[in-house]
Amino acid sequence: MRSAMKFMIGASFAALALAGPAAAEIGEKWDPNYEPPRMADGTPSMQGIWTSASLTVLERGDQFNALVVPEAVAVAVETGAMAMKNSDNKPTDPDAPAPEAGGAGVGGYNTFWMDYGTKVARINGEVRTSWLVEPENGKLPWSEDGKNLLANLRKSFGENMDDPEIRSSGERCTVGFGSTGGPPMLNVLYNNNYQIVQESDTVAIVVEMNHNTRLVRMNDEHRPANMAGWLGDSVGKWEGDTLVVHSTNFHPGNAYRGAIRHRIYLTDDAEVVERFTRVSAEEIFYEFAVTDPEIYDQTWKGEMTLIAAEGPIYEYACHEGNYSLPGILGGARKEEADAAAAAAAVDTVTSDSSTTKRTVTRTYVNK
Amino acid sequence: MIRLTVAAMAFGLLTACATAPMDAGSDDGSTASVDRDLSGVWKVMNRANYDLEAHPARHAMQLVKGPYTPLPDKRVVALGAVGAVPAGESVVREGSIPYTAEALVQRDENRANWIDRDPEVKCYQPGVPRATYMDFPLKIIQNDDAMLIVYEYANTMRNINLVDPGEAPIDSWMGQSYGYWDGNTFVVEVTAQNGRAWFDRSGNHMSAMGTVTERYTRIDSDHIRYEATIQDEETFTEPWTVEMTLYRLVGEDAQLQEFNCIEFVEELLYGHLRKEPLK
Repeated sequence: MRSAMKFMIGASFAALALAGPAAAEIGEKWDPNYEPPRMADGTPSMQGIWTSASLTVLERGDQFNALVVPEAVAVAVETGAMAMKNSDNKPTDPDAPAPEAGGAGVGGYNTFWMDYGTKVARINGEVRTSWLVEPENGKLPWSEDGKNLLANLRKSFGENMDDPEIRSSGERCTVGFGSTGGPPMLNVLYNNNYQIVQESDTVAIVVEMNHNTRLVRMNDEHRPANMAGWLGDSVGKWEGDTLVVHSTNFHPGNAYRGAIRHRIYLTDDAEVVERFTRVSAEEIFYEFAVTDPEIYDQTWKGEMTLIAAEGPIYEYACHEGNYSLPGILGGARKEEADAAAAAAAVDTVTSDSSTTKRTVTRTYVNK
Repeated sequence: MIRLTVAAMAFGLLTACATAPMDAGSDDGSTASVDRDLSGVWKVMNRANYDLEAHPARHAMQLVKGPYTPLPDKRVVALGAVGAVPAGESVVREGSIPYTAEALVQRDENRANWIDRDPEVKCYQPGVPRATYMDFPLKIIQNDDAMLIVYEYANTMRNINLVDPGEAPIDSWMGQSYGYWDGNTFVVEVTAQNGRAWFDRSGNHMSAMGTVTERYTRIDSDHIRYEATIQDEETFTEPWTVEMTLYRLVGEDAQLQEFNCIEFVEELLYGHLRKEPLK
């Protein structure tokens, strides 16, 4: 299996090399003389569909002791990921029995919809174990306040199902989870796709999850702080051939940005500086720096590549089909009603459960 | 600015041609490239989102039978004049929408149950052409290789494919858009909408089999003639067309704002599931 895959990778590299001998391959060392395609106004074109799907994530795993590791490590990680992916992609068993009544969970079927990438990031030819390059240890530099805030939030998400607005943005569909829309734009387990379209005064970054478009206003000033945006307020300028975007004024609803592989928190007046540079025909070098002194002890910086992807991007309509949030809230109400009924039974008092019944059987408005 | 034909783009001939064979110029003497520049922030000034057809002003979108005249439903009565419906001329070229008998019954049912059924009330994506004439501006971002239409309402956006993408693999709220130039008119064929969006607050509708052909024509520097022809044999006896003017927003405030209405409708959709529902 492993040797077969090595052969396939080798074969495909050879085919690519034959097809385009002049172009550097994705992940190879960049050509310092690379000349990017340009827009009519002479600025570099960032246009196209891009993906950040990767096995590399924001923070460095404890199994790695350096930012840059040998190629053999990447191959080992990719081999493991491929095995997992093959398992994810197995067809659903049509004869699978029903889940056990009263069991802890219904289990999963398969995870064909996961799209977390198949490659460890190679940035300018270096195999990277994290996007974070500062701090050097590849870990987020949480302040004590930040740590406490995060711990309280995680506890709250696990326990508090009282109201819709205290649930996470992913459950509410208010904005893509895990800072997929950014800034900084971080890779999550699926839908890591972006489309960039440029004009001289606007750079539009379409974020697949949830069909948000970040409109970067070029050579403009920030709006007043009360005009907060779910993706912040972004203004941009060109520094040579690099697009530099400064963002602040973040909507408090997108302060916590949690995903399975990372969690960050940005206050309203956090500042994010992003730098987009075309480095090859199929890569944008994407750098970001996040400053938020309340939450982090120092500015943290990351380096990522956005890789050209085949389009188009399809519609990610989350809110229109949101059964997650009413399920979570309704499930909690059902549990409370059951607990109240059980307590009443213990007391051998005839319970008037009409209120409870009305709560749990009411149909959702959006069905 | 689009200066090239679609065919040229398809073959990647993206050199700096000043004109293209299909450019016909224009009567007002402006250059073809200006005629073909739709970029900017645009907005209608009409009442089409209330009702595409001619309608007099009335008490409210949701009415109940009163002792003498229809009156506002109790769910909207507190809005007073703010909740009243302003009059509007028909934006339907044919005057009225040519429904089949069955589809007309559906429209009237939709209208009678507006507050429960209109996807706009729930902050759902509006579909095409409704996105164009809601009370929110839109921004067209355009160049030789790409075009986006970004709508302020509900973070809605459309990527306009400039090369025919073929049949869409799946239906969606905003459908699939394929655009090309016909002279100085930009034509967008919209297919694969899921049929759940409405055309307005008056229950006008089509099925998932419907197609919309939009035509955007610059008539001067600050106005676009907008036409959308709707075809759906399941719903209409013949194709019909809405037509209206898009006005350019000018000045410092000609920007899209953010209207992420999902959080604004959580109380409506999920309020009954709170641990302590609001009194």
